[in-house]
Amino acid sequence: MNEGIGFYLQTLSSSYFLILLSSFTVIEYSFICYFIYLILPKNNIKKLIPYIWFGFTLFAFIDFFYINKMKSFDSFASGIESIIVILLCVYYLFTQIKGSNNLMLYSTFNFWVIIAFLILFSGTLFLYLLTDSMKKDIHFQKLYFIINISFNILKNILLSVAMCMKTNDANKLKPSLPNLDEDAFFLKNS
Amino acid sequence: MFFLQITGGSSGISGMLILGTLGMLIMVITIISLLVFHQRRVIRFNKQIQKMEEERQQMLLRASIRFQEEERQRIAADLHDDAGPLLATARLYLNENLIHQEPAIQLQSIFSAKQIIDDTIQLIRNISHSLMPPTLKNFGLEAAVKDLFEKINGSGVINASVRFHDNRERLNDEQELLIFRILQELVTNIIKHSGAGFIHLTQNAQGNLVYFRIHHDGKGILQPDFDKLEHHSEGLGLKNIQSRIRVLKGKIFFEIDSTRTYYKVTIEVPRAVGK
Repeated sequence: MNEGIGFYLQTLSSSYFLILLSSFTVIEYSFICYFIYLILPKNNIKKLIPYIWFGFTLFAFIDFFYINKMKSFDSFASGIESIIVILLCVYYLFTQIKGSNNLMLYSTFNFWVIIAFLILFSGTLFLYLLTDSMKKDIHFQKLYFIINISFNILKNILLSVAMCMKTNDANKLKPSLPNLDEDAFFLKNS
Repeated sequence: MFFLQITGGSSGISGMLILGTLGMLIMVITIISLLVFHQRRVIRFNKQIQKMEEERQQMLLRASIRFQEEERQRIAADLHDDAGPLLATARLYLNENLIHQEPAIQLQSIFSAKQIIDDTIQLIRNISHSLMPPTLKNFGLEAAVKDLFEKINGSGVINASVRFHDNRERLNDEQELLIFRILQELVTNIIKHSGAGFIHLTQNAQGNLVYFRIHHDGKGILQPDFDKLEHHSEGLGLKNIQSRIRVLKGKIFFEIDSTRTYYKVTIEVPRAVGK
């Protein structure tokens, strides 16, 4: 879907293209944030995610309309998006190492999706940061094409691996012991 | 980031892009490597635990075999030391019958032989009952447990009571025998070691699971104590309880109530499929 939308945006006229590209950054970020929000265990960082999402969306809006004035690629917003996603992914992996005794980490869907995001955003961080200032440079365009395509392919491979993994339900809670002490248990069951 | 966008020429920025991307990639690879390293350590640790569990199983098996041998030796000793001499004496009296032809002496020796044979029968009955309680065999677990508790109550040392709430669907014979043995062992331990004034046993069922809970007001043990004693103590009692629980595919919990007055031992047993 991501790739499809990307190619479609490139076919549009310049003014629409930039608006949609900025919207795409926000939408992509929203989806990733929501996914990480769902998979993170309950803690303070999880509570912070909605605020981070709101802060970034507001920033992207201000950047596009008031700083860039709808004239150029949202390099700055994309860079910030990449950094936030990388930090959230690293934090997710850290929670997996720290808290859980999950032996099947490699065989979970979440792990491979996070690795895919981590590699994609780490690989393209500098690329997006420099895109706006270097978009006219032919050598840069070649590099952009190679790096972007390579990391997108890698991301898609990792997402495909993730699709092959089953969700891990080994840690589902078992039903607790009923209260046998007094006759309440008896009355309930008789 | 602003600095990145305005400084350097075309080749400088391309170099920066390559270096930056490589740097980020190295960072990600380092993170993933650390993760893999950590995961391997966890797996190794888990294998060690698994090995320890296997060793524990072996220990339980050995304890079970030792218990069986001790039980056999006890029966052999009972038969050899008690039944053997009694029967030999009875034989002696009957032999005397062949020697002395006087009816009065014959009658006396026949009477003595009969008494000795009666004693032997009683002895063998006792041995047999200790192996398989007749109440359990004939009337089931509830009757056997009630019988056991009545006997304990009758001694006057401790106040023992039982309540079976839901025994409409009985467990199979093998399960009932194993549970009876576990309860017997637990009650014996409570009487011997806890100094309790009362023992109360409750039975209940929920779905496919049957629960037995013993309350007592003596000095009991908690789950960590049980795990420790089961591993390290010389005694066979707790090891036998654990191996029987395993055979039943059940669980056992040692707890204390919230007021810290009563100790509780709960046994959870799933009903066997296909009786």
